[in-house]
Order: sequence, then C-alpha cells, then structure tokens
Amino acid sequence: MSRDVHTSLLRVWRRIVFRWRRTELDHELAEELEFHLALKQQASGELGHTQMGNMTIAAEECRDMWSFLKLERLLQDIRYATRMFRRTPGFTAIAVLSLAVGIGGNAAMFTLVNILLVRPLPYRQPDRLFRITGIFPRAAVPFFQQQTRTMDVAAVSPGSEYNLTGQGEAIRIFGSVTSANTFSVLGASVARGRSFEPGEDSPGRDSVVILSNSLWRTKFGGDPAAIGRVIALNGVDRQIVGIMPPGFSYPSAQVQAWVPMRFDPSNFLEYWAGGFMPLLARLRTGVTMPEAQLEIQPIIGEFRKTFPYPMARDWNRDSAAIPLQRDLTGDIRGKLIILLCSVGLVLLIACANVASLLLSRATTRRKEIALRVALGAIRLRIVRQLLTESVLLALAGGGLGILLGTGALSIFKSLLPSSTPGLAQASIDWPVAAAVAGLALITGLAFGIAPALSASQIDLAQSIRTGSQRSTAAFWTRLRGGLIGAEVALTVVLVVSAGLLIKSLYTLSEVHPGFRPQQILTVRISPNPSFCTQRPACIALYDRLLEGARGVSGAADAAIANTVPLDAEQPDLAVDVEGHPKSVDHPAPMLWSGAISASYIRMLQIPLLAGRDLTETDGAKSAAVLLISASTAKHFWPGENPIGKHIKAAGERQWRTIVGVVGDVRQYSLSKAMPDWIPGAIYMPYAQAVREDGQVPAAMTLLVKVRSNTDGPAREIRSLAQDQDPNVPVGQVQPLEEVVAGSIANFRATIRVFISFAAAAILLAAIGIYGLVSYWVTQRSYEIGLRVAIGATRNRILSMVLTQGLRVALYGIAAGVIGALAVTRFLASLLYGVGAADPLTFAAVTALVLVVATTATAFPAWRASRIDPIRSLRVD
Amino acid sequence: MGRTGAPELLPGTLDLLILRTLVAGQMHGYGIAQRLRQVSDEVLQVGESSLYPALQRLLLNGWVKAAWGASENNRRARYYTLTAAGRKQLASERAEFARVVGAIEKVLKMA
Repeated sequence: MSRDVHTSLLRVWRRIVFRWRRTELDHELAEELEFHLALKQQASGELGHTQMGNMTIAAEECRDMWSFLKLERLLQDIRYATRMFRRTPGFTAIAVLSLAVGIGGNAAMFTLVNILLVRPLPYRQPDRLFRITGIFPRAAVPFFQQQTRTMDVAAVSPGSEYNLTGQGEAIRIFGSVTSANTFSVLGASVARGRSFEPGEDSPGRDSVVILSNSLWRTKFGGDPAAIGRVIALNGVDRQIVGIMPPGFSYPSAQVQAWVPMRFDPSNFLEYWAGGFMPLLARLRTGVTMPEAQLEIQPIIGEFRKTFPYPMARDWNRDSAAIPLQRDLTGDIRGKLIILLCSVGLVLLIACANVASLLLSRATTRRKEIALRVALGAIRLRIVRQLLTESVLLALAGGGLGILLGTGALSIFKSLLPSSTPGLAQASIDWPVAAAVAGLALITGLAFGIAPALSASQIDLAQSIRTGSQRSTAAFWTRLRGGLIGAEVALTVVLVVSAGLLIKSLYTLSEVHPGFRPQQILTVRISPNPSFCTQRPACIALYDRLLEGARGVSGAADAAIANTVPLDAEQPDLAVDVEGHPKSVDHPAPMLWSGAISASYIRMLQIPLLAGRDLTETDGAKSAAVLLISASTAKHFWPGENPIGKHIKAAGERQWRTIVGVVGDVRQYSLSKAMPDWIPGAIYMPYAQAVREDGQVPAAMTLLVKVRSNTDGPAREIRSLAQDQDPNVPVGQVQPLEEVVAGSIANFRATIRVFISFAAAAILLAAIGIYGLVSYWVTQRSYEIGLRVAIGATRNRILSMVLTQGLRVALYGIAAGVIGALAVTRFLASLLYGVGAADPLTFAAVTALVLVVATTATAFPAWRASRIDPIRSLRVD
Repeated sequence: MGRTGAPELLPGTLDLLILRTLVAGQMHGYGIAQRLRQVSDEVLQVGESSLYPALQRLLLNGWVKAAWGASENNRRARYYTLTAAGRKQLASERAEFARVVGAIEKVLKMA
C-alpha cells in the first residue's frame, strides 16, 4: 500500500518536473517516433495514412500522460474565461464590482452579527447568565441573595464618571460599582492580581479597585507593579488589586474601573434611594430558567414591604429574567437587523444584475458556442466552461469584497454605540471569510446556472446558419425581464428607506434647538464631589474661573452651567411643587435641573418669556429664586401665571420662588426636548443650586463666547482652568456647535450608509435596465430594420423600445412601492418628523427611479432608432 | 487498442509485457515492439499509439529509465532500462497476472 502511495507521489512529482521540460520532451518524443517510423518503413517498405495517424495519436496520448488532465482542463477553462474577461473589461469590472459591494457589505455585517448576536458571551456557561429587569436599590441585593434558592445574584451599576488622582495628571475615568461576587457570578477572572474577595462590599473593607486593561496600559504603562498601588477615585483612596484581561467589557466597553458596591444599611440614602440598577444573576446547577422566573415576582413582593418608605404597589411588577446576551444587545439588535437586511438586498440586486448580464452575454455568444458544439464539445463541457466563468467572477468579487468588507466594518462599527461589549474587538475572521467564500461560490453557481443552461440549449443548425441573434429563447428573455424587475423593486425599497432617513435628517437639522450655539466654546471642569462639601470653596473656584475667562483675549462673555444642551448629561432632580401635593399615585415629579451663572440665558440667547432673568445679585445669601422653562409652566400651571409660585428640591425645607419663564431648550436630544418622565426644566443660580444629596454640583461646564472660533482662545481657556488646581481634571475645549452636531453624528453616519446602499442599488438597477434593453435591441435589430424598411418612423422605433424598457421598470416600481410600504415601518425607530409611509418621499423616489430607468433605456432606444435597415437586413 | 489489429490485451498487460521484455537489457521502442512480435509468434502486434504512452506511463511511475544512445544504424535512439522499482513491480505484477489467468482458466475449464 505504502509503495502505491510512494509511486503516485513520484508520478505527481515527475509530472510537475515534466511541465518545465515541455518543449524538450516534445522534441525528444518527436525524434523517437520519427526513428520508429524510419525503422518500420525500412522493414516493410510501405507508408500509409493509418500509420501517420497512429503517430499523431501516440504523441497526443503521451502528452496527456505527462499532464494532470483534469487540472489542465480546469486551467484551460480558467484561461479561456480570463481571456473572455479581458476582451470585455467593462462587463467584467461591473460584474466584479457589483459582487464585491454586495459581498463586502455582507462580510462586514456577518462579522458584527456573529460577534454581537450569535457568538456566546466570553464567560463561563454564558447561557445560564441572565438579567433581572427593572431597577433596584442596593438593599435589594442582600435581600435577593438571602431569599433565592435558584440563583446567584450580583449587582453592577451602569457606571459613572470618576476623578482619578494620585497618578500623574488628574483625569476623568468611567467606573462601575459592583457587588463583590460580580466576577465570580459572571465567571470572568482577572488577568493579573486578584478579584474582589467575599466581604469586600462591606463598609470599611471596600477601599479596593480593579482596573481595565486599557486604563492599566495608558495610565500605568502596563507596569505589573501597579498592583498594590493606591490611587484616589473621587478623592477616596483605593488600592489596585487586579487588572482585567483586554476585551473584558461588562457592563459596557466604556468602563475602565470597577469598585466594590458598599452595602451599608446605616447609610439610608445610598442603601435605599441612590443609584437604582438592574440585577445580574446566574442559575444554580440543576435549576432551569422557568424555575428562577417563578421565584422573581414573589421575592420582589416581599422586598417591597421592607422599604422604609411607601413604595408604589406596582413597583417592578413586570420584572422578569431575560438572557444576558439579549440584554446586552437589546438596543442595537433592531438596527443590526435593519442593516443586515439592507446589505442583503444589495447583494441580491448585485446577483440579479450579474445573472442578467451573463444571460445576455450567453445569448450573444450563441454562435461561438454553437461552433464549439459542432466541433465536438459536449454539453456538459460547455456548461462547465460557463460555470467556471461565473464562479471565477464570484471569487474575484469575493476577494475584493473581503477587502471592501474590512473598510465597511469600521463604518458599521461607528454606527453602533462604542460602549457595546465586544464591538471594539470585531474584525473579519476565518469563519466569516469562509462564509463569504461560500457565499461567493453559491452566488457564482446560482447566477451562472441559468445562463449556462440557456446557452447550452442551442439548436445547432439554426444558430450557425443565422448567427442566431434572432433565435428566440422567450423563456430566458422573460426570466431576464423578471430579474431586472425584481432588481428595480429592491432598489425602490432601499431608496425609499434612504429617502425617509434623509428627510428625517433634514427635519432634525431644521429644528430650532431653543438656543444659539454659534461662537461659544465649552470646557468641562470636574472637581471631586468632596471638594464641594464646602460650598463657598466651590462657588469661589467658579467665580474665579468666570472672571478669568472674561479676561481671555477674544472673549466677549463667559458663563457656567452644570450641563450644556445635548452633551448627554442628565441632571434630573426630584422636586416638590407648590399646589401639587405628592401621593402614592403621584410620586415626586422629576425636573431637568440646571445650575447656571446669571450670564447663561443671555449668552445662549434663550428667550425670556415672562418675569426676569437671573442676575449677579442672586447669590448664596440672597432669597432663593429659579427660572422655569415654558413646558414646566404649562405642565404645572396651565393658563396661570407661574411667576411668584414656588418649587423646591424634594426633602428641602426652604421654598424657591419662580422669578421668570424661559423658552424650551432641546436638552436631551434634537429630536426630543426631554426624556418622557421629565416634564420640563428649572434653572437655579449656581450659588444657590443643589443636587439630590443637597450639595452644590461639583462638575461644571465653562462656556465662553468668543468673537471667532480660533485656537488661541481655546488654548488660553484650557490653561486658565488647569491653573486653578492641578487635582481638578479639565476636559477638551469644544465648540458648542460641535456638541450639537455630535449629538446626531451617529444618525448622520447611519444615513450615509443608507445613502450609499441606495446609490449602489440605483446604479446597479440602471446598469441592469440598460443591459436588458440593449440586449433586446441587438436581438431585434433585424426586426427593427424590417420595420424601418416598410416605413416605421424613427420616433415610432424610439417609443417602441422605450415602452419595452419602461414596462419592466414600472412593474418593478409598483412591486417596490408595495414592498417599501410593508417594510419601512421597521425603520420607524430611526425616523423623525416623517411617517414611514410619507407620500412625498414615495412620490419623489418613484419619480427618481423612473427618471433613471428612462435614461438607462434612452441610450439603446436611440441606437435602435438609428439602425440602418440596409445593413441590418443584410448582416445575416 | 484495436487499431493495430492485434488481439485485445487485458488492461495493464502491456506494461507487464514491456517490463518483462526489458529484463533482457536496454532496448529502444521499436526494438521492444519487434521483440514482442517475434517472441509471441506474430500474435502480439503492439502499435506505437499504445506502446509509447505505455512507456511514458512506466517512466512516470519510475519503473523504467530512458537514455539516448546510438542505434545499430548509428542513429540517435532512446533506450529504456528496467529500474530496481521496475523489477519489483514486474515480480508483483507477474504474480498477480498468474493469479488472474489461473482464475480465468478455472472458469473456462468448468464442467
């Protein structure tokens, strides 16, 4: 057996060697055969045809012996195909590019879907992890842990910003508070050092922290000795005990540090009222999800009774367990699926197009194919040749597609929130590349099979006699019309989607945000909250800053505010409103709470609707006052004058008097002024401002009105802020206009992607229609010539061809409009100020596609009208 | 194979015959054909369209070697020599052939 293997290996090797010595071998063989013939003639003295034939056969069979026959044939097919491609570079480029676009987009989307939706979370037994929906105070964690018999419960806060000091320049980082068992419940381990130990979430033992790999690298240079070092987070000293591995991204990729959640029943506010969060849990062994599900509501019911203050009866009534993976990808699932579908549509369009191009080419190649059949090529061989061509096209498209895909992936990534766990690590990997290769092969075979079959069904005699551009293959022509029609329909769906999004973007950009962001620079300054326990110190710091900023050359005015509109901060505050007593059914209302300097309203040109603006005299010691927004006024005092009425923070003793009403500002997003649960805004003078915990807000934004947006003032402002205190982190200076634009950057990017999908689709469809009609014209040139010869006018011919092309386009558009009506409602979550069935958009898209279709038809139609009857009738 | 008018050979038999012929020493293609004809009393007339492909096959398998040399009439001719691997192959093919022929005989002699 091994000898056989040995022999066949040798044979392969010699064949390879023989390839190089082809000419030499040919010569030698010829000489050998000649010698043989000479001897034979000598012996018999006769020479005949048969013997000559024998020699040729001998030489040919010897040559076959030297070569890898099947491989050679394949290579021959490939050589032949590439020659065809070289001869029709336009066709080849269009086919390869359309496929590359389709396949590239799909490769990128496959990667994202695979990583975010399909691949299991990188934790131990990830299918046993789940989240308990609803939000809970810290007190719920020990309660659940004591009551449950089915699960291990942990708690992780979504995270908030911290000041990191004690290690170089003070910086702002994002940290999450977690119960000590979080990492063991997740089944994730640290890369260095140790995880939290049980009990490290009790008061006094909690001064530890675990860092993310990225923070460890950037701030500590990846120094292993960082473990054990002490850093200050928001002024609290904590010892670094562990470093997480790169790529660990729970609860989000944003989190750079994890600190233990302190369970301290004596701290009422923190334990019962502060920072509500979801719970994380793992099924214990032998327990099923439904069993855990059954336990959740009874425990919540019991827990509700232990609250030290009355809790609404339906609190967390709909809490349930959902798989952790679904929870993590909940928000982006819809968007991913929309993108995957549209990219799939583009691939479908590309395939239809290439199939139709190949079909028409197969028809124009009839004569050539018929000739090959006549010369003895069997049908299988021809089908194989044509399939080789289409598979080759698909593979070239696939290869280019993977290149395009890497580019597309980074674009798609930018469309999803960067905090999405696992997103940063996404790159096109082997399984996806393999899937793409498979996709390429399948598309190649799929769009190759119809043309190949159509071409191989040739009536030999007729084709050769006539050159057969006239021979009718009605079925294949109809199929082709159907393909193009479907292509137009898919295009309409994509273009309508893009159109709706563009209209949303236009509406959004026309929205008046309620303030003027022009010529204003902002910079975030964030002292530790502990720094502001001394109110006067904090107020003095910001007074100094304001004064300094007004002195910056090029600065016209300066203001401070706890948030600027659209900067993603959410300063909500529970308040008591005069004349609106709280009850179990009406708990304390939440309002957007601004803390501003007197110059803020004026500087942002927020209109003053009634009463007076804040002034410099509304200081720490003067009477407590505030401004309210128009919607606050309308919500609490519809039809009444709110000036002189009172509002206070929940739990405060002193009422604050409303002195003015200002216009509404788009604080939350351009599409939505406020989140649903916040009816309006209040603005307090900074010196009098409070947060939930009764302190003055520590982190503030300094706004400076400049005469021109140049770098000079920006640098000066930043160094001014940094000079105040080296322990206070200072953010980057950013024009307010950029903040506003940044709030819809993601939306803009989504739209750009849709526009490129739509553009690709419409271009492909135009090519498709053009190809279809030109083919039709070529096929009918005899008939057209005949019509002209018996008196048809050029206009008559023109309109005949136009009708032909537009009929297909109209069918496609009609189907596309119906399809779009059915699917655009899935876009609803992305739309703003425009209905999913917006008639204007539908009409505009229909018109656009019609114009494109007409243009694509016009060229071949014009050519048809110029057909010279004498030539076209004589050709065959 | 029927083209030469010679009787049909069992597949692979030609290779065996060539190998056996070459046991006597190096020989060129025409010589091999002549020799086969003489030895088989003119029964086996191997045509060149079978002979030369068979020789190429044997070369590829490494069972024979080829070298150019001068012929009887002083022309350049390609001489084939049996290799060690070829000898082994001959032995095993011979045994196999005997087995097959024996089996065929048995069938033919059946009562």
